[in-house]
Order: sequence, then C-alpha cells, then structure tokens
Amino acid sequence: MRADSAVQQSDGMRPAAGRGRGGAIVRIAGVKKAFGEVEAIRQLSFEVADGEFLSLLGPSGCGKSTLLMMIAGLIDPTAGEIRIKDAKVAGPRREVGVVFQSPVLLPWRTVLQNVLFPIELLKLPRRQYEPRAMDLLRMAKIDEFSGLLPRQLSGGMRQRVAICRALVHDPSILLMDEPFSALDAITRDEMAVELQRIWQANRKTVIFVTHSIREAAFLSDRVLVMARRPATIIDELPIDLPRPRAIAVTEDEVFNRLVRHLRNAIEASHAE
Amino acid sequence: MRNSIAKRAAAIGWPILVTVLILLAWEISVRALGIRSIILPPPSAVFAAMAERHDLLLTHLWPSLYLTVLGFALSVVGGIFVAVLITYSEIVRKGFYPVIVVSQVIPKISIAPLFIVWFGTGTLSSLLLAFLVAFFPMTINAAMGFESIDEDIHRMARTFMGSRWQIFWKIRMPNALPYIFGGMKISITLAIIGVIVSEFVASQEGIGYLIKLAGGLLDTPLMLAAITALSVSGLALYAIIAGVESWAVYWQPPSDAVGAGGG
Repeated sequence: MRADSAVQQSDGMRPAAGRGRGGAIVRIAGVKKAFGEVEAIRQLSFEVADGEFLSLLGPSGCGKSTLLMMIAGLIDPTAGEIRIKDAKVAGPRREVGVVFQSPVLLPWRTVLQNVLFPIELLKLPRRQYEPRAMDLLRMAKIDEFSGLLPRQLSGGMRQRVAICRALVHDPSILLMDEPFSALDAITRDEMAVELQRIWQANRKTVIFVTHSIREAAFLSDRVLVMARRPATIIDELPIDLPRPRAIAVTEDEVFNRLVRHLRNAIEASHAE
Repeated sequence: MRNSIAKRAAAIGWPILVTVLILLAWEISVRALGIRSIILPPPSAVFAAMAERHDLLLTHLWPSLYLTVLGFALSVVGGIFVAVLITYSEIVRKGFYPVIVVSQVIPKISIAPLFIVWFGTGTLSSLLLAFLVAFFPMTINAAMGFESIDEDIHRMARTFMGSRWQIFWKIRMPNALPYIFGGMKISITLAIIGVIVSEFVASQEGIGYLIKLAGGLLDTPLMLAAITALSVSGLALYAIIAGVESWAVYWQPPSDAVGAGGG
C-alpha cells in the first residue's frame, strides 16, 4: 500500500536543485481535514518554493502539525490535495525527511546507526551512504559522538542526530514539527543558528512548524500565521533579513517590528 | 569507575553477610536449644548430608533440571510466537488475549493431577506442567514488549517507508527484548515449580521425588540438602538469564541489574 505509490518519483541521488528560489515544489490545494465531527483544518491553500524556508506559525493545537503529517503522507486529507513535484501525495515519499518534536532515536543503536536507519529501511547501499552520514554528523558538530548511544547524549545533541537522520537519504524537502520545543531556551537559540547553517549548506526546502514567534522570524524566508479551530491561514509575512543571521539580529529594531507584526496577527485572531 | 565497583561489591557483600549471619544464628540456636535433627538439623548437618550423598542428589537433580530447562525453552519459543500473533492478528488480540490474561488467575499447579491422568506419571507430565506455568508470563511480557512502541517511532519508520517486516525486526523485536528477559526471569522460576510439583504428585525420579521420599523417611537433613541443591540450581539458572540479559540489552543503564539496594 505504501511503497509503490510513494517511490514513483524517486530518482536516486538527484543533483541539488537550483539554488535560491525555484518554482513551487509543494502545492497545498483546498486541503481540509476533519476528525469525525471536528473540523481541524478548513480550506488551506498555499505553495512552497524550491529551496524556501517556510514556517507555519500558530498556537498549540491549531492543526499545523496535522497539516505537516499530511504533507509527510502519514495522514490523508479529508478533501483537497497535496502535490510534491506535481505528484499527488498518497503515502510517505522518499524525497521527504521528517524531524519530529522528540528525537525518536532508537535507544539500541549508536548515533551513526541511527542516522543510517532510513538507508536500511529504504534498502539503499549502506556503504555508499556512510560517508555522507559522517559528513552530516560533522556538519552538525556531533561526529565525535558517532559511536555513542542516544542515552549518552544531551537533548540538544539528540535532536541534531534526528536532523542528520532526516537528511541522510538526501531528500529535497525537510519537514520539521516543532523540533526544538522540548529544549531549554539557550539550547534552542543555539539550535536555530545551527539549523540555519545546515540549511544554508544543503538548501533543502524546509517546512518548519513552530509556536515560537521569534524562532519563526529568525529562521524563515516566509512565515504563514495560522489561527486555531478550524485552522486557516490568517497572515503571510516575508522575512527579508540578510543571511546568515546571527542570534544578535533578534535585538534589531527591524526584527522586532516583524515579531510585533506576527504577534498582532495572532492576537487579532484570538480576539475574534 | 572505582565508585561503581565499590557499589557493586557492597550490593553483593551485604546479602552474603546477612545470609552468613542467619546460618550462624540457626546453627547456634539449634545446638543451644537441643532441637532434634528430625525436626530441624543445623546447617552443618545439611552441608554434611550434601557432601555425603552428592551422588544421590545429582542423580535426582539432573532430570529435574533437564525438564525445567526444556519446559522453559518451549515456553519462551511458544510465548514469543503467541505474542507475535497477539500483535498482528486482531482476532487473537481481541479474542484470546483477554482469556490468556484472565486465566492467569487459575493456580495452574492445581492442574497437575489432571496432567497425570492424561499423560501418565512419566516425564511428559512434568515437562508439560513446566511449560504451562512458564508460558503465560512469557506470552504476556513479550506481547507487552511488541506493543509498547512509541507512536512517534512508528511514524518515523513509516516516513522512511519501512515495511511491516522491517518494523518488526528492526523496531518491535529489540524494543521487546527487555520485556522478554523480564518474562524469562519469571518463567524460569515457575518452570522449576512446575517440575517439582509434578514430581511431588507422581514420579519415580527427580529432586521433587527425592524431597518427598526423604520426608517420608523422616530424613530431614537429606530433605534440606535436596532443597538447598534445588535452590542453588534455580539461582544459577536465573543468574545465567540475567547475565545474557545484560549482554543483549546493552543499551539500558545497568542501574537495576544489581538490584534496587544500591540507591
């Protein structure tokens, strides 16, 4: 049921897509989701450009994670359709990597074995991908821990492993579901800077779900603000700050104006 | 590092010290109160009986241990197999699993006489009783292990298009290992009980038979010697399983391997 529908578009080690803005790689058209009587998501439509870093910002329980799981092919929409590279999403796809809220590492596998887990599941040649896995670990600055077990790592390091795992099979789209929400504030800032660096080096398309306004503004090319119950998009804000952005940028007046704009949008939706 | 060795030594040392103290108190009080050997022999007499009659003890110990290990092994294989059915078949999970859980209440030992009627007084009855009592905790533990996967791990594997087969071998099985070893530790103890009870009821050999025979002859030192031999063997079997566990389940911190005593 899964594999056949999902692999059709996989074409092995694809050359990196055009840097910067390409055409739309993900298209969400009139997507609705209802769980029984409860309407979780109402008529969402938007596109994500190739190589774009897009954040979905909204309060907890606004359906943004549900939307992400639908893009990942784990949940089917009730109506409407999601297309990745013009192919309709009907199940998990090879060109998508997912980072969850918790690192979900397998405790019996070392860091390197965890990163290579998707390679095993996808039945790709392990030997060919091991150097890539080590490169990713080096980029995430955790290569010296490649032989350790997850329980020997801190929360931040575990989430870095999860990011490497999501990237190891070279997907073109990275879906991130509040990946830093379980971390403390300082580690969180650090991870945001790290993620930006990793993203700049790889130029994947990223769809990043968060309820942190600062995080969304710091990381994104564009932020979509979602209102809760049922989820709709109430605002869209391009973030044109130059990259690479340092954490100091969050003290700039320009940055804070963007943050205020996003906060007002969220508060306006609450007032209704 | 040194600290953990000291902790480990303390964890083993204290129980040994307490055991020695109990044996000493037993020895001294039996002698001081002049209790007859038929009622309660001192530990020294029990050890003497063990040394003197070791041929007799071993002759009866081996068949019991053999049946215990065989019944236990069957219960492990059978339990894991049924647990897989419980995990993957809705009919088994909804229909049989509750029955298995509820049947835990039945004192299965009480079925021993029935087994004698069905399978005779030979080794088959002992083997089947050992298997029966060891089977249930094994099944329930293994099933819990297969089912207790974090929903996120399952999702993660699905996003990388893992098949059911891959999810079973690469996730469910290793995830269930600690539970399976937990079940094994319960099952080995129960398998011993199963064999001994069956030998009590009707048998011409085995350590259970020897204990009953010694009781009938009022040879209390021999009886206690047999019980001691049985206990030591049981402890050894348990230790073997615990040892394999700490090797196989290497990813779990060894905190509870020594026991809760260390703090």
